[in-house]
Amino acid sequence: MALLAQIVVSGVLLGGLYALMALGLALVWGVLNIVNLSHGALIMLGAYATYFLFTGAHVDPFAALPLAAAALFAAGYLIQRGILNLVIRGPMFNTLLITFGIEVILTYLAQLWFSADYRAINPRYAGSSYTFGGVTVPLVQALGFAIAIGLTAAMWLFLLHSRTGRGIRAAAQNLVAARLYGVDPKRIYALTFGLGAALAGVAGGLYGTVSQINPYIGGPLTAKSFVIAIIGGLDNPFGVVVGGLFLGIVESLTALYVGPTYRDVASFGILVLVLVARPSGLLGRTA
Amino acid sequence: MSDALLEVGRLNAGYGEMAVLRDVSIAIRPAEIVALVGSNGAGKTTLLRALSRLIPSRGELRFAGRSLAGAAADEVFGLGLVQVPEGRQLFDRMSVAENLRMGAYQRRDKAAIEADLERVYALFPAVADRRRQLAGSLSGGEQQMCAMARALMARPRLLMVDEMSLGLAPVIVDALLETMSQIRAQGVTVLLVEQDVHAALSVADRGYVLETGEIVRAGTARELERDPEVQRAYLGAADPVPAMPAGRAHGAP
Repeated sequence: MALLAQIVVSGVLLGGLYALMALGLALVWGVLNIVNLSHGALIMLGAYATYFLFTGAHVDPFAALPLAAAALFAAGYLIQRGILNLVIRGPMFNTLLITFGIEVILTYLAQLWFSADYRAINPRYAGSSYTFGGVTVPLVQALGFAIAIGLTAAMWLFLLHSRTGRGIRAAAQNLVAARLYGVDPKRIYALTFGLGAALAGVAGGLYGTVSQINPYIGGPLTAKSFVIAIIGGLDNPFGVVVGGLFLGIVESLTALYVGPTYRDVASFGILVLVLVARPSGLLGRTA
Repeated sequence: MSDALLEVGRLNAGYGEMAVLRDVSIAIRPAEIVALVGSNGAGKTTLLRALSRLIPSRGELRFAGRSLAGAAADEVFGLGLVQVPEGRQLFDRMSVAENLRMGAYQRRDKAAIEADLERVYALFPAVADRRRQLAGSLSGGEQQMCAMARALMARPRLLMVDEMSLGLAPVIVDALLETMSQIRAQGVTVLLVEQDVHAALSVADRGYVLETGEIVRAGTARELERDPEVQRAYLGAADPVPAMPAGRAHGAP
């Protein structure tokens, strides 16, 4: 019983990080109608940014997160303005191809610049943990969970109550009306893609503190974010929290009862099941 | 017309290779209500799209003394050229109050926005009652009121209303037309684009008739109502000079 509780807690902590990973993907998908296949590569870049700030400049990995977010925001803004804007009215197949191309380029640039070695972000407190009634909560995971949920809530409040957030939702719901009422879609789209990339950057930094990183982590993380976005839907940021926690717990339980090597089999099994059961999730807003 | 708020001269517009508007010229003076009437497919909505800069056009386009050539949709909106589009085009998954705030998207004057909200709610009490509901859940008439309230939140100088009466009960159309007169009394110029020619001419000062992309008639609302050609084509008169007033035609000779 204590073991099960431990597994569920670990799953929940992992799920918070998954939710943050998926949030940026779901935001861009919902507003721009682009399934950004380079999302995982942006997470990977966020992880490397945090890693090099930590090892090179001795910036605490959690203090490095805003810097990683800012760098990725700029990168995302420019990718949207410079590349994706060219095909914004095009069919989804075009944007899938282009974002897949960006993913490939970023992955191989990372391999070229950072080498294919596995790396880990190991601050002094990396091994610290707290124990409550037989359940161990590692400090780094708990901090990551808190940041992930906090950012998701902040994103929700921003979209719901700020003027820019309203503009983003307006462009997502009715583009013609948004243009008629003074929303500049180019600016809103670039801003949204930048925000999605910034969220990926933070998620990457947190990922680097709990897991090893290499240039190839992007693809599987895109796929997991996609699963979560489909489960959680695109309209409410808390949908991705539900989807993220679900995936985190399923993976943890699978690792315990089936075997650690079957973790990804479980998550991608869910992806296949979702696509079979709800293929409209691929294109429909109701995902 | 040098005192015109909006001047459109020899405007041509269309979609891709397909020309819809041919040399359309109209002018609207401040605080006028002008009706643009014509049947389905005449190019009325295309003209509004060109004015709002949703589609490109050739020809002269001046608003408040400024050329709109090369302006983007959000800039034109910022100048006060505001459209209530055909089919309302509300933000369905936002509340009524949020839709109204979207009307004020380019404004930063918080206190004035709050004051305008109250003013607009007073003008449309039915909208005020539903302010927390999702816009998509409103009835057709309430949606049209919500769309007009949203437009007023932008403090328009020229309000362009496209097919306001479409799908609405006559009693609601009458109430909306009455509101239109109140809006004009507050100094807002109105361009009323309608298939319901009788309704449009009943509140308008002047009107234009658009037919297959060209202006074929222009004059005061009274002149147009009496025009045998307009009566025959749009007001349901069976004959250019009907023996009895037919349909909803007013002032038959």
